[in-house]
Amino acid sequence: MTRWDELGDDELMAELASAVAEETDGGEVTARRREAARAAFTWRTVDAELAELLHDSALDAGAAVRSSGSSGSAPRSLSFIRGAVTIEIEVTGQALLGEVVDDDRSDGPTTVSLQRPDAEDRVAETDASGFFRFDDVAPGPVRFVVARSGWSLTTPWATL
Amino acid sequence: MDTTEPLANLVPAAREGDQHAWDTIVERFLPLVGAIIRQHRLSDADGDDVSQTVWLRLVEHLGALREPDALPGWIRTTTRNECLRVINARGRMRPVDPQADHGLDAVVDDMADAELVAAERRQVLRAALSELPAGRRDLLLLLLEDPPVPYEEISARLGIPIGSIGPTRARALDQLRSTPSLRGLGPDPVGGPS
Repeated sequence: MTRWDELGDDELMAELASAVAEETDGGEVTARRREAARAAFTWRTVDAELAELLHDSALDAGAAVRSSGSSGSAPRSLSFIRGAVTIEIEVTGQALLGEVVDDDRSDGPTTVSLQRPDAEDRVAETDASGFFRFDDVAPGPVRFVVARSGWSLTTPWATL
Repeated sequence: MDTTEPLANLVPAAREGDQHAWDTIVERFLPLVGAIIRQHRLSDADGDDVSQTVWLRLVEHLGALREPDALPGWIRTTTRNECLRVINARGRMRPVDPQADHGLDAVVDDMADAELVAAERRQVLRAALSELPAGRRDLLLLLLEDPPVPYEEISARLGIPIGSIGPTRARALDQLRSTPSLRGLGPDPVGGPS
């Protein structure tokens, strides 16, 4: 790549032109993404307990190669962990099935909130085995907050 | 705060809840995120999802980001990963040669580098432009207008004689070359090592 001081005036002006044009071109997409990016800051939480992504089938090595075949409809699976609590998610089309795996489920009901940047939270209660379900889940960024009396656990954002 | 403010100031301010510092970070790295999304040839809608996820992830990651200079690399890696996730999750086909032994990541990286470097150069240039005195920046911007603005009008708008437009342009470009951004002395140019 050419060093800046090796560029003649006209070459430098040409690079400047494309740099400046980039800000004005695709302005609509950029403006929309800028607005969403700024709004993301409203999701700042100072003291949420964050789970870690343990596994995402969409990040498996070779996932894209496989999905180019006929098996593209295999469910997407994600799992998150923090301490003794694991959250398993499986997405098939628009149906989302999940499980909260936890040795200690003695303290009453567990709820799972499905959070999206542009929508109201949706809340489901887990059944006796820790399973929960959301239907009509559209693509886009999502995270989950698992709550039980006294504690809650938030997953990182992921794009479905 | 403008986009040349050091990340060492911006990141802690955003961590403390300063929306303006956050907006400045967004302004600075939105083109980088956009360039990586373009390389992965996502649709506008998928690109919107990736972009939003990257910024949401950054909001939750701010507290853990102890080294502000690591931010450009973090954004790059996170954006690439989210692009791959979306491509994979939505079963999109990619031109992958299964015989090649370096796999998908290397293919993406090869495609990525040339355009990434170009995007980072454009970003550095815009930063350099913002470091110029307003009069010289305005002159360059007027000279870049398409269709071209006649010298008579430039002269009238900037209040400088027609005869000095050429020499001022040359001086402005020299000054641009010696800005901290173009000399690589910027606080932490986006084009730094990954």
